[in-house]
Amino acid sequence: MRKARNIAFQTLAALCAAASFGVLALILAAILFRGLPAVSWRFLTEQIRLVGADGGIFFNLVGTLILMVTALLVSSPLAIGIALTHSIYLQSAILRRRILLLLYLLNGVPSLLFGIFGFILFVKYLGWGKSWLSGGILLGMMILPTVTIALVERIASLPRAYTEAAAGLGLTAAQTIWSVILPQSLGGLVTGSLLGLARAAGETAPIMFTATIFAGAHLPDGIKESPVLSLPYHIFILAQDSFDPSVGAKVWGTAVVLLALVCGLSLIALPLRLRIHEEARNG
Amino acid sequence: MDSVPGKPQQIIEISGLQVHAGPRQILRNIKLGIPGHSAFALVGPSGAGKSTLLRCINRLVELTPGLRVSGEVRLHGRLVTGPGVDVDELRCRIGMLFQQPVVFPKSVFQNVVFGTRHHGRVHRRDWPEVAERALTEASLWNEVKDRLHEPALRLSVGQQQRLCLARAMAVDPEVILMDEPTSALDPRSTEAIEELILRLKTHRTIVVVTHNLDQARRVADWVSCLCVRDGVGEVAESGCCSDLFEKPQVGEVAAFFRSASRYAASVEGPVTPGATLE
Ligand SMILES: Nc1ncnc2c1ncn2[C@@H]1O[C@H](COP(=O)(O)OP(=O)(O)O)[C@@H](O)[C@H]1O
Ligand SMILES: [Mg+2]
Repeated sequence: MRKARNIAFQTLAALCAAASFGVLALILAAILFRGLPAVSWRFLTEQIRLVGADGGIFFNLVGTLILMVTALLVSSPLAIGIALTHSIYLQSAILRRRILLLLYLLNGVPSLLFGIFGFILFVKYLGWGKSWLSGGILLGMMILPTVTIALVERIASLPRAYTEAAAGLGLTAAQTIWSVILPQSLGGLVTGSLLGLARAAGETAPIMFTATIFAGAHLPDGIKESPVLSLPYHIFILAQDSFDPSVGAKVWGTAVVLLALVCGLSLIALPLRLRIHEEARNG
Repeated sequence: MDSVPGKPQQIIEISGLQVHAGPRQILRNIKLGIPGHSAFALVGPSGAGKSTLLRCINRLVELTPGLRVSGEVRLHGRLVTGPGVDVDELRCRIGMLFQQPVVFPKSVFQNVVFGTRHHGRVHRRDWPEVAERALTEASLWNEVKDRLHEPALRLSVGQQQRLCLARAMAVDPEVILMDEPTSALDPRSTEAIEELILRLKTHRTIVVVTHNLDQARRVADWVSCLCVRDGVGEVAESGCCSDLFEKPQVGEVAAFFRSASRYAASVEGPVTPGATLE
């Protein structure tokens, strides 16, 4: 009886795993099957022509990269500051829990609300119009919880002995943080950022009213009124025209590139995380 | 009889030291004098507060949240407890060696000069010299001189512990605190550390916590035994090593010595022939 139940449970678990892998495989297969033929060197290096029916996605790719690098530059210092405050400076367990709670709340905010917030603050109130900077800041805020929590977990996993050994040598608290705690928890920052960016790269909602347009933008040359093109918004707009077969091919091609970018980031993040953990244990 | 008698030149004087963890008291009214240029052993049953007492001397207790310390610790007659003391400066003068070697995931060389480089008193170009002197003092130079730039974590545990000692000495402290420095080590490394203590105590002051009474006998000149009374650690008896081990005056101390030697015999007795196999 117990054995039968065990087998039933194992089968059920295996079925669930198979079902989710099946869905994933179907999506991947569909995108690759239709999109790969559209991807070529020209597709990656030419700019958009004929309202997306011809040409490539060069400036979309560049725009998405600009947004992601900005998001990284915005989120990293904030994440380091919050993580140090949480894990080192704050003595009160209640305040520490509150910070974590806030981060989880921030993580749960729908991305559309980030877009609306950005629209009100950057586009309207600060009068930036559509700008790569507001998009980068919003994406940075979106990935902030992922990055910070990865860093907090990393700092928590550092042996206390390191801090004590450094303090025992007469290092000041700042020196200990700078030369012992930060270098050893940098891995958390890197993997957290990569995972966060992998998610942010595909977001449309936060950037569609604030940072990105469909056509006619190149490299930004300032902050005000300097939007960028981007991959997800390109897909979003073109998908509405995709009954035209030449446009359809471009949509799928763009999807392949976005997918490659996102999977690439996750794939770098995962082994890196494992390797850094390994190093932390064995040197 | 609370303080060490008959030795005028005391580098460290502890008086009225109390440590509380929340409502619970850990150490009560500790009074101790530690003479310079000698080795001072702290012995006593596990949980008596030896580590805590040791960490009060360089104020490392303050890094543990929830511990409250009151009372006085003086170094060369100058108060080092209380506000207004440069704690980082104090910890430069009082080095520390832990039970488990704590090497940073860096090279051997980077580990040795780790404290030195942060104090900024020695020019970068002189670091190699500092490293060589400290490693030589820790009897490690010959073993690592060709692998200074290899990761320190590749050294054996015994070598790592001597590396930690070298790292502490590179800062040139006058006092070195050691918390059961050999309890994680093999017999050979233990012997190396004990020889080092004997050599170092000619020009530095060593305070060593140990659960091994034979070790205390071998390396220390002075010894203080902590005991637990109503759940709180106290100094039961202090004195010159030979006197105290021969004729402990306090009943608890005598009882502790008896049980510790019985324990040592039961652990080491049958194992000894194989234990020193190399
Ligand atoms: N941070 C702490 N909070 C609460 N109790 C502590 C703390 N550190 C040590 N203690 C208690 O203080 C006592 C003495 O500990 P310790 O100094 O480590 O003893 P020893 O080194 O002699 O074995 C132990 O009973 C331990 O439980
Ligand atoms: Mg201890």
